[in-house]
Amino acid sequence: MSDHHHHHHSGSHSMHGKNFIILPLVFCILILGICYLVAMPKLSTYVAIAKGFFSDNVKDFSDEYRNIFVPIAEEEEEPETSGSTETAKPRNNKTVPISSIEFPRYGDQFGELIIEDCQIDVKFFFGDSRKELDYGVGMFTGSFIPGYGGTIMVAGHNNTYFNKLKYADIGQKVKIRTSYGNYTYEINKIDVKRYTDKTSYDLDAKEENLIMYTCYPFDTLGMTSKRCFIYAKYISGPVIDKNA
Amino acid sequence: MSSSKNKRSRIKPILYNFLAFSMAFILFAATGAIILKATVFSRDYMITTMGDTGYYPMVKDEFRTHMKNLGHASGLSDEFVDEFTEEIDFRMEITQYIESFYSGEKTLVNTTSFKQTLKNKVNRYIEDNHIDKEKASEADIDYMISEATDIYVRQISIPFFSVIANYIHNLSTPLTITIVVLILLAAGIGCILYFTNEYKHRRYRYLCYAFTTAFLLDTIIPSFIFITGIIGKVNLATRSLYSLFVGYFTGMFSYFYLFAGFNLLMAVVCFFLFYTSFKKAIGKA
Repeated sequence: MSDHHHHHHSGSHSMHGKNFIILPLVFCILILGICYLVAMPKLSTYVAIAKGFFSDNVKDFSDEYRNIFVPIAEEEEEPETSGSTETAKPRNNKTVPISSIEFPRYGDQFGELIIEDCQIDVKFFFGDSRKELDYGVGMFTGSFIPGYGGTIMVAGHNNTYFNKLKYADIGQKVKIRTSYGNYTYEINKIDVKRYTDKTSYDLDAKEENLIMYTCYPFDTLGMTSKRCFIYAKYISGPVIDKNA
Repeated sequence: MSSSKNKRSRIKPILYNFLAFSMAFILFAATGAIILKATVFSRDYMITTMGDTGYYPMVKDEFRTHMKNLGHASGLSDEFVDEFTEEIDFRMEITQYIESFYSGEKTLVNTTSFKQTLKNKVNRYIEDNHIDKEKASEADIDYMISEATDIYVRQISIPFFSVIANYIHNLSTPLTITIVVLILLAAGIGCILYFTNEYKHRRYRYLCYAFTTAFLLDTIIPSFIFITGIIGKVNLATRSLYSLFVGYFTGMFSYFYLFAGFNLLMAVVCFFLFYTSFKKAIGKA
């Protein structure tokens, strides 16, 4: 039997051109479908785990940070009692509605921390990872932002931005300036504890307070498990109204 | 007799289509297996990708950044760190780490030399900078070296590598056997399609179906991956690992296009042969 005979017999000279596209497409869909049906039940756990390693956006590895800090004018200072060793008392403060605050994202600079007596004037970051501590001091994101009424825990390196904490003393003022208000705290305790000592901070405190900490001792070579904790109480600054 | 002949003529195309379908499936599976063998199971692919993506200088830079940060917490100067880190050291250590991974050994980073070098350099640093012993206690120095070693290990090692190392080593030979079996199967089906078809143009038609399907599969999968940009959305801790991951899997999925090209070529050749033999048959008619 020849090709000629066959085509003559079938009564058609069509070369079925469409089949060259349609059939491979059907095959392709079938194969993908089979692969999906066979593999998915076995791989679904791994696929779910793998999804955890992917995010919606391409990750940014840039070392630059976002600065949302816009300084606002200092309020008039209350005149200090000359020669007084008494500690300042909290003032009546204005409130600032929470809805008006641009809440920082991790890694943002959202303020400045100033201790004039220690010649410390550094950038204040939301987050305390390597990147933030390379540029300034950073607050632990498990603590509270200034004005919120809780503990603000701030870390810095003892050989860079917090080196001059070695000059910290009781009664010194600590200022934290943010875009939504300027805050003042007063150092009321200095302590050296091991970093594992959880009694050195209280993140559930009901009153606003500031804790700054860095490695201790200062100006030594090597890593240490000791930390210098500087505690400061709230003096002034707008209180965040959480319901507004 | 005529009825059974008709039945056979109806069954034959179904059978041949099924064979073409099977051949495409096997070609696709073989492609996947070959790509796995050439990438995931290949030490050279890993080493080449590391070189191409600038992995070594990135690892060195990241290590330097972390060490400087450690220095800020422990008193080491930035200059000390700059002098301490050399790209060639990382290149050698990473290569050794990769070697141990592919040879089935435990994928551990050897830190002995690093610790010793760092200790010596720190001691020299103390001498050169006339640092009092009171301000550089042995325990604090050891603690710093231990932290630096952790940074070093994190930079050299690749996450989950030690978990999959054993599988890679154990599956290498079965994968080679699988590839050979799949290729033989595909060739076998190809031979059946070719030699059992009495009409020339039909031989090429079914082979063309198989190669076109394989071409589509080899094109769709990487295209889907690249269009969705899923590879770039991986969430890895460091830039070096991210670049390595993106380069590694981009290269891996790009291999599919190579096989797609081969299958397309074969499909075009088969179509041309089909067309000429079909025309010849029509011409005779």
